[in-house]
Amino acid sequence: MIWFICCWSDAVHEQCSIDERMVAAMQALAKRRYFCRRGKVNLKKTVGLVLAVLVFFIPLVVPIPGLQFAARLTMGIFMSAAVLWMLEPIPIYSTSMLVIFLEIMLISGQGLLFNRPMAGVSAVPGTVEGTWVVDAASISDGTVYTLEEGRLGKAVPVEVLEIGTERVTFKAEGLSEATLLASDATDWRVQYKPLPYKNFFNALSNPVVILFLAGFLLAGASVKFDLDKTLTRFFLRPFGTRPAMIVLGLLLATATLSAFMSNTATTAMMVTVIMPIISQLKGDDPLRKAVALAIPVGANIGGIATPIGTPPNAVVLAALQGSGISIPFGTWMVLALPFALFLLFAAWLLLIKLFPAQEANVTLVLKGKVNKSGKAVMLYVLFGVVAVLWMTEQQHGLSSNIVAMLAIVALTVTGVVNKEDIRAVPWDVLWLFSGGIALGEAVSQTGLAAWFVNSINFETVGYMGVVILIGLVGLAMANFLSHTVTATLLAPLAISLQYSGVVNGASAIAVLMVMVAIGSNMGMSLPISTPPNAIAMGTGTFETKDLAKVGVTIGLLGFVIAVVLAKTMWPMVLQSL
Amino acid sequence: MSAIYILCLEDEPEVLDNVVRDLGEFEDTFPIEAAGSVQEARKIVADLTVRGDRVGVILCDHIMPGEDGVSFLVELADREETVATRKILLTAQAGLESTIEAINKAHLHYYVAKPWKKAELVQIVKAQMTEYVLGQESDIRPFLGVLDSERLASAIRQKGLLTDE
Repeated sequence: MIWFICCWSDAVHEQCSIDERMVAAMQALAKRRYFCRRGKVNLKKTVGLVLAVLVFFIPLVVPIPGLQFAARLTMGIFMSAAVLWMLEPIPIYSTSMLVIFLEIMLISGQGLLFNRPMAGVSAVPGTVEGTWVVDAASISDGTVYTLEEGRLGKAVPVEVLEIGTERVTFKAEGLSEATLLASDATDWRVQYKPLPYKNFFNALSNPVVILFLAGFLLAGASVKFDLDKTLTRFFLRPFGTRPAMIVLGLLLATATLSAFMSNTATTAMMVTVIMPIISQLKGDDPLRKAVALAIPVGANIGGIATPIGTPPNAVVLAALQGSGISIPFGTWMVLALPFALFLLFAAWLLLIKLFPAQEANVTLVLKGKVNKSGKAVMLYVLFGVVAVLWMTEQQHGLSSNIVAMLAIVALTVTGVVNKEDIRAVPWDVLWLFSGGIALGEAVSQTGLAAWFVNSINFETVGYMGVVILIGLVGLAMANFLSHTVTATLLAPLAISLQYSGVVNGASAIAVLMVMVAIGSNMGMSLPISTPPNAIAMGTGTFETKDLAKVGVTIGLLGFVIAVVLAKTMWPMVLQSL
Repeated sequence: MSAIYILCLEDEPEVLDNVVRDLGEFEDTFPIEAAGSVQEARKIVADLTVRGDRVGVILCDHIMPGEDGVSFLVELADREETVATRKILLTAQAGLESTIEAINKAHLHYYVAKPWKKAELVQIVKAQMTEYVLGQESDIRPFLGVLDSERLASAIRQKGLLTDE
């Protein structure tokens, strides 16, 4: 190839000196490669966008028995969003915004399709008490549809008594002379009572979104006042200088911080802590790998420990709250903390076994001072108070979502958090799971959820089968997709299983949803699985195969532990729901 | 996605060759352009700008036949499309005056004295490119593993460049 380009440039620049020709050749090479790269990027984007549009129309053109029009639209939105989230031709938060917009335009009462009222006719009383006479067009499949302000009130099953040429006499309950019936019972709008568009906008102010907003502000303030670094020094000091103990210390410190901060920010901070350790080790010392891998592993596991640990937890909690089930902050921790601790311990054994240290001692340089400025101290106090209030939800009775608002107010009133810090909140993440919440709302409210549950026979797999299946699917997806997207796609389906007949009661559905969260958080075998993996990979200390070995083992182990807990401990903890 | 280039400007072909070879490990992420004179470098910058690409780091010799390196760096510092470019002077013989000019007017970012060591040069270019990327790019994911990981990590922590997703 280079030879070819050289010859080509030879022909063009016969008069040029040798080095100029080389330069021209190099330029040509660079150009070629550049265009190839851009071509690939554009192709992937185009394929993603075209596919997203195509799958949107599938449920609208393919006949699906028992699925009314609005549910088909929702299915189209769901499938389209899934493609966009998986192939990422547009940013994932942008897909969430699109979901909310499409729901408002297509299935809300104020959107393009459902904003015009349907024509109605009054029911005319028949000769016998309780019988009514209507145009034949008002009855379809033995059902008439009452209208309220031109939209579906309710579907009323009727007993047809007499079919005339144009008029039908029927018997039905609950009708009066004032009742308006849809004059065309086959109208595609007739089977769906459109949701107010506000419901979809409301996803943005969902209580769980406020909970995360508080978490983001606390985490942001912690970075500003170096609380994360201070705590890390505090955690690591007791672990001494023995390599195995240092790995354990790193795992625990990272996990503890990432339970309250984002996994990504924690990893980024810990990378600055481990780089001095890594650079003092010999290039071939396996301990380097153990140290570098402890960070993303600890961060991914730690995120599960509290509701605010990672966004997938938010998606799951919001879906549960949508069904009237709320898991208190402290209860979540009782479920997730033993799981996390057990898995951290297993991860520790795995890391020191796979990557045994050559050195007997490693010096840990823990430099830095505790920030004792007024605002920093205020942050320490507020963080402590809020954490305690969160964990004692059942004692004081205030929901953690409300405590979150207290945190937001206190942080800004005291000036610990200022305008810049509010602007620095990762709003894209809040949008991302707001889109997920809105999607869940549409799936359950349009009847898509019910259809999904009824079209698959879950009886044959049974309850534990469903729990295992959901966990495995989540784990598999989360290795390749964003964890939040995994939870967002699985949560609406999982929550609908409460109508399947195999998942009975609040605690059973809660266990299933916790499984969704754990599955979504356990995907960590590839650099692309999570930002923490990508950051740790960026240190160049370990290879993809090391990450894969550790990630797959811990992911599967986590899954097994979760299944055991789902069978034993979790149902007992969640009994009171 | 527009590409970020490393531009090497050096009049002696063997030296130019050495610079390009020493920086070979960046090639996959940051294509390297080589120029033998200021005119040529100017044309390359113009071509890249037309395509929407940018020069992230320029390594520039000073004494060359025709125009000298420092005045070219000053020119780049005055132009909008190259004001953010990280400017490295790679020279054995820049007098005090031109060095002062390079610092004050071209906002020189680094001075490397010839002869250089490969590891040292790689380290310097990596650090400078890291600063360029942090200042100019909104998505740093493609650069993890290529640039200074500690510097990137601390920027991720402080500026929230990456989030859980």
